[in-house]
Amino acid sequence: MLASRGVSLDPFLGAGHLAALVRAGQASPVELVRMYLERIDRLDGRLRAYITVTREAALDAARRAEQAAGRGGALGPLHGVPFAVKDQFATRGVRTTAGSRILADHVPDEDATVVARLVAAGGILLGKLNLTEFALGGTIRFPFGQPRNPWNTEHDTGGSSAGSGVAAAAALAAVTLGEDTGGSVRTPASWCGVAGHRPTWGLVSRHGCIPLSWSLDTAGPLGRTVEDCALVLEIIAGHDPRDPLTARRPVPAYRAALTGEVRGLRVGMIRELTHGGETDPEVRDAVVAATGVLGGLGARVDEVSVPLATRAGAAFMALCDSEGAARHLPWLRSRATDYDEGTRRRLLAASLLPAALLHSAQHARALIRQQLGDALATHDVLLAPTSHRAAPTIAAFTAPITSTGQAAARFFTRRSFTTPAALAGLPALAVPCGFDAAGLPLSLQVIGRRFEDATVLRVGHAYEQATAWHRRRPPLPTS
Amino acid sequence: MSELTETQVRALARSLGLPMTPDDAAEVTHRLNAFIEALAPLSDLPPGGPDPTPAPIDPDAA
Repeated sequence: MLASRGVSLDPFLGAGHLAALVRAGQASPVELVRMYLERIDRLDGRLRAYITVTREAALDAARRAEQAAGRGGALGPLHGVPFAVKDQFATRGVRTTAGSRILADHVPDEDATVVARLVAAGGILLGKLNLTEFALGGTIRFPFGQPRNPWNTEHDTGGSSAGSGVAAAAALAAVTLGEDTGGSVRTPASWCGVAGHRPTWGLVSRHGCIPLSWSLDTAGPLGRTVEDCALVLEIIAGHDPRDPLTARRPVPAYRAALTGEVRGLRVGMIRELTHGGETDPEVRDAVVAATGVLGGLGARVDEVSVPLATRAGAAFMALCDSEGAARHLPWLRSRATDYDEGTRRRLLAASLLPAALLHSAQHARALIRQQLGDALATHDVLLAPTSHRAAPTIAAFTAPITSTGQAAARFFTRRSFTTPAALAGLPALAVPCGFDAAGLPLSLQVIGRRFEDATVLRVGHAYEQATAWHRRRPPLPTS
Repeated sequence: MSELTETQVRALARSLGLPMTPDDAAEVTHRLNAFIEALAPLSDLPPGGPDPTPAPIDPDAA
């Protein structure tokens, strides 16, 4: 813990809290940047959250932010607060690798819209965060180092926004940005024990984000609190002329929606995901207990059925991977050995997928969207586990696939928990809801109606504030 | 739809000009067969229902 101007600076304080200290003249942006750089130097050799640390640029930006704060006047909502982004988002003059050797020397000449908006809000970019190659998931050998779970470094972080989850959990930045195609914000949030929000598809610009699937890709925040997710969403949301598929609706005041009040809200727990045979009993019990907490706060909780939810993982992978395979076809032919073997095999399989199955997946997507829509017609939000289990070991997660059953279990089961919301374009939040017997985080997922991100965040925040899971810190070296 | 063999997978890849190591072929075969096993039952879903658009046609639509 660092003392700044008489105030103790704790790297685990949320971005919103740190921004308030900067505005009040009680924290120095330069000291904040130095505090996180010191942690990165000390911890990231093992955790490997970062691919690139923009040390000098961050210190320069912090000095400018400090001068601006000293001059008085209006400051942005993230003024002087260090953040980091997944290395899938373009950053002007800073290499953007998408976690792949193929783009190791790729230096964009402009910022992604979401990065530009965070900087315009006063945020200070600390660096670019590690990810599974091309945001696909399933990387066996990470070209820029194996990301490790801060709660137990032998365990996986979840992906694809692996570094975003690690950096948020280990306080290697005040808040981070990830991208969620089918769970890539929520899974690392779940396994690393932080909050992570997948916004409504179409709410946040995809301009400057290296694409995986146009109808699924969604930038979203990860932070140690739901409030920090709301803060970042408020900054990055809204129409972008450079992404014509962004909505033109006004952006709500997401932080103002965090009232702690859920009385009378109708909450439906998805039966197939919470009580299904694939769900670890510790996860099930934690989610059931969470529904009890919300019930205790005055929400009306019951169960709902989304029968096709358990098929969502396979349908999602057919749709997402085949699109990815089409994008990568030229490199698959010419630079096959530059891909990690896990990525290459995933793209090769998708390249050979029979068209009839792809259309079945598209049909299933429409029906899943309809089933979720039916459930949300009678409920304000739906609840489910974010993942069916806590983080597996890295060794288990990267072992060779030797049977069809193993492939289905590895790739489809986990994704069936996060992909229903993705396939339907719905907002979904991951929020810590306990720990398993081994001390690894468990996570509750809150899913809402399109453009009702404020309700999702309100429910997640009310639950978070009624519990203490988010206050626990990973057992990291202190010196 | 029946399971694919490794020989068939290698032939499919060759027809698309996709290089594939023997280890790749073995794992890709398992992955493809997992897709077939999981998705084939979806062809039995009742026809009709909502149009299978990948995303809302109007980005502002709730």
